[in-house]
Amino acid sequence: METSLDARGKSCPLPIVLIAKALRVADSGARMTVQADDRAFPEDVRAWCRKTGNELLSLDNKPGYYEAVIRKS
Amino acid sequence: MSAAPHLVSPSLESRLAALEAEMRSLAETSLAQAARLDTTSELLRGTGQQEKLSLIVFSGSLDRLIAAFVLATGAAAMGMEVSMFFTFWGTAALRREQVHVKKTLLERMFGWMLPKGVKKLPLSQMNMAGGGPAMIRYVMKKNGVASVEEMIELSKELGVELNVCTMSMDLLGMKPDELIDYPGRTFCGVAKFLETAAPGKITMFL
Repeated sequence: METSLDARGKSCPLPIVLIAKALRVADSGARMTVQADDRAFPEDVRAWCRKTGNELLSLDNKPGYYEAVIRKS
Repeated sequence: MSAAPHLVSPSLESRLAALEAEMRSLAETSLAQAARLDTTSELLRGTGQQEKLSLIVFSGSLDRLIAAFVLATGAAAMGMEVSMFFTFWGTAALRREQVHVKKTLLERMFGWMLPKGVKKLPLSQMNMAGGGPAMIRYVMKKNGVASVEEMIELSKELGVELNVCTMSMDLLGMKPDELIDYPGRTFCGVAKFLETAAPGKITMFL
């Protein structure tokens, strides 16, 4: 399943809180694209994925925001 | 009758066979070890032992409460178990906006001085008679930071545990009905806090 989450304009800790909330109800293997412009996002999303054991498939610098793709383990 | 021709001498062959057996057993051991490591990391990842964050919220100022709830919601999002213990001014910060309960004169006097609701909390610095909190709330909104009220709601959703110190409630003359609604909130003392925090990885006093 593919979902997306737009966390732009939201600051720490909301991006990871919203990711956690959204992935809690997702099935294993589900992919989610997350957009965020919080400056802490690149470090935080990497840490979140390492800690929770979910997979960070990609993390890109888009104009004005970051885009991460996460797969639920 | 002739035996199969030996490519190497019989003594060498037996040594080779011994080496082969040794290599097989080594491979088996390392496979077993890898499997055991997998199980361990699986356990550490949160399926078994969950990491724990315990927060003592002593302060009742808006800025410290922001810090407390950023940590609590963030840790819950990281898959950690989170317990918050509200004591002293922290307990007073959990008052509802408007509620009437029976109190003694001294308790009522305390009540007049304590903040009436999360929305009325002062800042620990630059309070400026209430101007500071208004400014902080404005810049928080502008920067997309969740308000304390929103973070309390998120904490409920994420299963953050809320414990309130009964001793400080008695000292400040506060009644359970005066506190904000929070599912599963517990009124307790230091023993409950220590029992909860002891196996935890992170404990903070705010």
